[in-house]
Amino acid sequence: MSEPAHAPSTGHELEQSKFGLYVEIAMLLAVITGLELVTVYLPFMRWLLISVLVILSTVKFMFVIFYFMHLRWDKAFCTILFFIGLVLAGGTMWALLKLFGSEASKPLDSARIDPPAAVLRVS
Amino acid sequence: MSTAAAGAIDHHNDPTTSTGIPNKKLLMWAFLASDCMFFGCLISTHLIYRLHPPPGTPPARQVFSIELTSFSTFILLMSSLMMALAVNAIQKGNLKSLRWSLLTTIFFGCIFLGCQVYEFRNFVFEKHLTITNSILGTTFFTLTGTHGLHVLIGVIWLSGMLIYSFTGRLGEKDSIDVEMMGLYWHFVDIVWIVIFTAVYLLEYI
Repeated sequence: MSEPAHAPSTGHELEQSKFGLYVEIAMLLAVITGLELVTVYLPFMRWLLISVLVILSTVKFMFVIFYFMHLRWDKAFCTILFFIGLVLAGGTMWALLKLFGSEASKPLDSARIDPPAAVLRVS
Repeated sequence: MSTAAAGAIDHHNDPTTSTGIPNKKLLMWAFLASDCMFFGCLISTHLIYRLHPPPGTPPARQVFSIELTSFSTFILLMSSLMMALAVNAIQKGNLKSLRWSLLTTIFFGCIFLGCQVYEFRNFVFEKHLTITNSILGTTFFTLTGTHGLHVLIGVIWLSGMLIYSFTGRLGEKDSIDVEMMGLYWHFVDIVWIVIFTAVYLLEYI
């Protein structure tokens, strides 16, 4: 999570070591992407595969925002501000998927829908 | 500017603002938070229609090309690395390194856009999936097209910054401008991380 900024001397050392850190993280992200690809072809239960994919994507997401986007070194307010948007977006997605994923939300089969009375009168 | 001088500027704090955060950075984080909700709605819409596909919807697995999309994802991740190195370079006052990093990021961004154009072309002309002939096409093209538009805006912004770096007016003191651009570019990357899983990979399970 976010930490207060370091003293200039420590900050300078940090800038020097960031190059190697960024390359390592990028390689890790590439490996995780490869793992995601392998995961979809594994003969396991669907819920397990979906869970693994969600976890791997979340790990990638967190690495990018905390290291590449500097949230780890910036003030905590930046993290809070971004997570407000993220939580609202995630909450909206969750609510919509729950609503439309329920049995009662399944669309009616068009072949089984009785035609409106007006249509019957015309025919 | 020499590397030794880099430690003199604190790139993560601005004591002149009430929050201690540079105003431009705060603005960008607020914008990205709102863009999260925008993409959240687009992704939800796509997933809802995938939960209950109407009759006649083509199987997405037969339409998508996971090899091409994986390549695009790898390219975008590498562009994020180059963008992070560009921000690191300007914070050290290293203009030469900044230019090379920006140029590589633009290059990777263009490859990503090229892959997307190829994919769209393939879907429309080979797979006969258009934005109007099925719900899958409507939600897919709207979502990935909006993301592609964000990438295009990012590439234009990067190109502008690259040209500006040759005017001699860009220095370590302006690193916040490059950092803002970097935040935007990384955001485009994290949105793709979610799209790659939610839109493409889930179809293969």
